[in-house]
Amino acid sequence: MPDLPELNPVVHGRLRLALLSLLSGVEEAEFTWLRSKTEATDGNLGAQLLKLEEAGYVVVKKKFVLRKPQTLYRITTTGRQALTAYVQALKQLLGHAIDT
Amino acid sequence: MQDHTTEQELRDRLSLIESMIAEGRRHTESWGWTFVLWGFSYYIAIAWSTWGHSAWAWPTTVLISIIVTIIVASVKASHHPGTTLGRAIGSIWISLGISMSLLFLALGLSGRLTDQHLFMAVISALLGMVNGASGLLLRWKVQFACAVVWWVTAAATCFGTDSQSTIVFLAAIFICQIAFGIYGMTAEVYERRRRVQLNA
Repeated sequence: MPDLPELNPVVHGRLRLALLSLLSGVEEAEFTWLRSKTEATDGNLGAQLLKLEEAGYVVVKKKFVLRKPQTLYRITTTGRQALTAYVQALKQLLGHAIDT
Repeated sequence: MQDHTTEQELRDRLSLIESMIAEGRRHTESWGWTFVLWGFSYYIAIAWSTWGHSAWAWPTTVLISIIVTIIVASVKASHHPGTTLGRAIGSIWISLGISMSLLFLALGLSGRLTDQHLFMAVISALLGMVNGASGLLLRWKVQFACAVVWWVTAAATCFGTDSQSTIVFLAAIFICQIAFGIYGMTAEVYERRRRVQLNA
């Protein structure tokens, strides 16, 4: 029997996974847009984004648009690789679950 | 970890990834208003230059339209994430704006902008090019149909009398700018309502 892959715990969290998936489809996204798509609270969203940032999966950029502060998040190459690896592991595990 | 993870949970995670990627890539920008704005700008510039006989008609109208477009677009776009597709389409339209502004400003200043047929043909051909490129990128048949109308207009305005070519040009502006813009805005409202219903 082949070894089953480990699921990356940083990516596996439901909200973190949603955030990485959302960011993989866009160039960069504003905090408010991520909040509206995930329907998470400000506190929880900020905490999960910080974990992704600490893992090197997202980078944050702050700027002002029409004098209003804007926080933008962008997925990094490492983050994209982690998401791809997670999907592959997930598919492998699901394949194993179907076989057994 | 997977010892405690059920198959249903794994499927749930996979489905979450798919839905979020689709959500992120969904076309969130709304640009129908720009077509309507520029359609009316062309009408104002044509009317002003025809009856007002002013050399400032086109530069003034175009400059005001550019400023309005930049302000409204930056306010609307600031809350939406940028996508590669959005940037590709945006870059084509920005390049068109720069090309047209420089070309017609130079032609006007040099006094070589004297042939009305050529003026309309060049505008129509350029608009055909950008609408065609956008339609192909978005796989949007309606916009590509507008490109075809512009290309036909570019060819048609080279022939006939001044009045005939002007009528063809005005009709193309109505179809490809005003009618298409209103259609785009209606489609955006319908899409937003559909999304709200799906999320409810």
